[in-house]
Amino acid sequence: MMHTDVVIGLEVHVELDTMTKLFCSCPTKGSESPNTRCCDVCLGMPGSKPVLNSKALEYALRLCLALKCNVSKELVFSRKSYFYPDMAKNYQISQYELPLGAKGSLTLGAKAVNIKRVHMEEDPAALTHPSGMHTSSFVLVDYNRSGNPLVEVVTEPDLASPEEAREFMKKLITILSYLGIFDVKQGIIKADANVSIKAGNYQRVEVKNITGFKDIERALQHEVERQKREVKEGKKIMAETRSWDSDVGITRSLRLKETEEEYGYIFDPDLVLIDITPEMIAKIQSSMPELAEQRVVRYINEWKIAPIDAEVIASDKLLSDIFEHVASHVDKPYAAKWIRRELIRVLNYQGKEMPQNPIRAEELIMLITLLQQKKITENTGQKIMELLMEGPFNIVEYVRKNNLEAVSDTGVLERLCREAIAEHPAAVEDFRSGSDKSLNFLVGKVMAKSKGKASPKEVNEIIKKLVR
Amino acid sequence: MISDFVKSVQQGKIDPVHHIRSALEEVKNINQQFHYCTTIPEQSALAESKEAKTGRLAGVAVSVKDCICVKDIESTAGSAILKGYHPVMDATAVQRLKDEGAIIIAKTAQDEFGFGSFAVNVGIGTEIPKNPVDPERACGGSSGGSAGLTRKVSFPHVSLAESTGGSIVCPASFCGVYGLCPTYGVVSRYGLMDYANSLDKIGPMATSVDDLKLVMDIIGHMDPRDSTCTGPQHAKVIQKPRIGLLKSSFAQGVDPKVQSAVREFVEKLKRSGFSVSEVELPLTEKYGISCYYLISMCEASTNLAKFCGMRYGAHEPLDGNFNEYFSKVRSKYFNEESKRRIIIGTFARMAGYRDAYYLKAMRVRTKIIEEYKKIFTSVDILLSPTMPILPPRFADIGNLSPLQQYMMDIMTVGPNLAGLPHLNIPAGSVEGLPVGMLLIADHYQEQTLLACAKVLE
Repeated sequence: MMHTDVVIGLEVHVELDTMTKLFCSCPTKGSESPNTRCCDVCLGMPGSKPVLNSKALEYALRLCLALKCNVSKELVFSRKSYFYPDMAKNYQISQYELPLGAKGSLTLGAKAVNIKRVHMEEDPAALTHPSGMHTSSFVLVDYNRSGNPLVEVVTEPDLASPEEAREFMKKLITILSYLGIFDVKQGIIKADANVSIKAGNYQRVEVKNITGFKDIERALQHEVERQKREVKEGKKIMAETRSWDSDVGITRSLRLKETEEEYGYIFDPDLVLIDITPEMIAKIQSSMPELAEQRVVRYINEWKIAPIDAEVIASDKLLSDIFEHVASHVDKPYAAKWIRRELIRVLNYQGKEMPQNPIRAEELIMLITLLQQKKITENTGQKIMELLMEGPFNIVEYVRKNNLEAVSDTGVLERLCREAIAEHPAAVEDFRSGSDKSLNFLVGKVMAKSKGKASPKEVNEIIKKLVR
Repeated sequence: MISDFVKSVQQGKIDPVHHIRSALEEVKNINQQFHYCTTIPEQSALAESKEAKTGRLAGVAVSVKDCICVKDIESTAGSAILKGYHPVMDATAVQRLKDEGAIIIAKTAQDEFGFGSFAVNVGIGTEIPKNPVDPERACGGSSGGSAGLTRKVSFPHVSLAESTGGSIVCPASFCGVYGLCPTYGVVSRYGLMDYANSLDKIGPMATSVDDLKLVMDIIGHMDPRDSTCTGPQHAKVIQKPRIGLLKSSFAQGVDPKVQSAVREFVEKLKRSGFSVSEVELPLTEKYGISCYYLISMCEASTNLAKFCGMRYGAHEPLDGNFNEYFSKVRSKYFNEESKRRIIIGTFARMAGYRDAYYLKAMRVRTKIIEEYKKIFTSVDILLSPTMPILPPRFADIGNLSPLQQYMMDIMTVGPNLAGLPHLNIPAGSVEGLPVGMLLIADHYQEQTLLACAKVLE
């Protein structure tokens, strides 16, 4: 297995988007004021007892099924013991011997990344270092997050580059958002990565605390470079745990690596074993939302959408959802093309992602309808798209006020073309002898005469017809 | 009997305020000599007594083992590390008693976190409770305060105790009162400070079978706040249960005086027409103690991790990093037995030892349950002395090694491991000292146990 120069395995922690915490009924969202969303259970008060949130189990099972895991026949929680100020009980309720899911896979293009296990656990509290992580003489603890439901997805060391790790994270987020179990806008997704390189004899180093899919590539690139540098300087790669500091862009050594067994796991005797029956699985299977891959197939086969458009749109749940809405009102392949090219273009231009997209389906329907009916040109459409990034407005009104209706009257267009042909005989001659440049020149002249309201494609055809 | 008292309160013949006031005075007096109480919440008891006119326990004085949370009343599980901790909630069992008009008059002394058989492993700075019959002797543990107080008070009273490996029947035996440890899961553990969660059971102590039954009827119900709580499952009361005498408990290692006292009761049963035979539990006798101590210590060592001077209980001035601070607080406020169990329990679940100790003990436990299940196909109740000795002198306990102390639980760990209901019946006395008889039944057969005890009462 370890034949690539870089070998990466990920442990991804995903916050499940349930209303309440994993083992108590405190809300997972709401007041941001510290320690206002906690109770005896998530504070680990003596006498408190955990009670499983069945919604969290359902969500975790959805993920197991989407990742094609073997699902355990029973749900068993274990106590993972270690002392740390963010731990309410100084043990974390997690899973050990019997993870909920095992032996799954996630497809990245032609490659299948093997999933070792998927398990459930509770989130610790949040620590605040008032004057910075490395200088503060004390920490403050906020238990609002304590007990939030997490799933941990552990891959086999199948990823061969930081780029691939990023792709994996991106794909995983897509799946999570399609499953409706992760809040793409506010949810937290964090990764710990095991990184090794061939030159370092594949000695594994764990990098902890990488947030989101953008940071993963940066953190891993840094770690790979660091390891290469160490080897070059004749140093030995140490088995250790390092922490990623996103602000500085470096990893720092935390401690020499501990093995899992040193957490002294025991079964959590406060939680009963729960049977995961075939009926339970069948019920979840039948209520599974449509996933990205299934949407791609439907777009291509039923909606006749270009494969590239289908792939790009389906890879983002929010984009795909907005497209579905728009597509039910307008020509689907045409809408797909526009949304894939233009919506993404204007978002990229402003450095925004879909969660920050201000353009609503209503405006897109109106815009694409006008384009399709040739009421406006594609040029005008692109400009309106850019303006929509500032906020919604009445597009029809705007087009009328600014006199942007496309000149689609063939009579008018022909007149403008004839004028251009008459004014530029030399260009006409060149075109006749095979110069495409001259044709473009003539089209440009007509476009100028129409003040940009003509469709270049139409003008192109009229000129060709008239000149021949 | 409590029901007679309650009737008088309901009819207005007894003024609960007046009654509780004098009860509190009596408890304070007893406590000066015997140290049964960690806290006597006078103000709240008097305030509650003003409202106590209805319910099946209207105006009844109830004491609660210190490890069971009572809202706003200091609850420490007998440990200095929880000094000053006032729970934010009532344990479900406490809530149910209060709902029936009970008045909480005391939190009772215990071995710290339940770690002991004599109530001598009390928290740092705490007095050891004394046997109500002979203050030179132990009252048994870990629910020693509950048993001693139940025996000593003159007014109607029940106590809420807790057992992990014998902590209800052992002190009940040494103090000569009734103690019922129900089937695991019948009474909610919500609000119980954990010793070993898979073994902990809350149960009542009283001076009559009817009082035990009344309290069980009130506290033994399903509770959504405890995942392991089942409430009482429907089980047919066995009218003439077949009795099985545990052969090894009437043999070497058990005080002959204890044996003969219990034998007298066995004869009484025979005369009442019960069939009595001898049975053996070889696996439980051989592996019960080690299996029990491994599992309970593994679980306890995780349960006690949360006590680190951060959120509640004892604090120290902030100094050093968190590791140093936690160690300082834990070193200073846990007693020696707690530290012993944390260290052994942690050891038994660490890499390299987990399979040999923790996991093996878990498998043995299943075998032990199977052994009991099998024996309950031929008999309905198992009978033995509760403790192998008479209440010991404090001076003698000091000469026992920890292992010898653990061996005192030889009769009681079996039913506790298997989650079986068991009951201590006062079986007369020897040289003025109480002797206890242990009855064990199959799961959810509390009513059969109580019915059998009623015959002997």
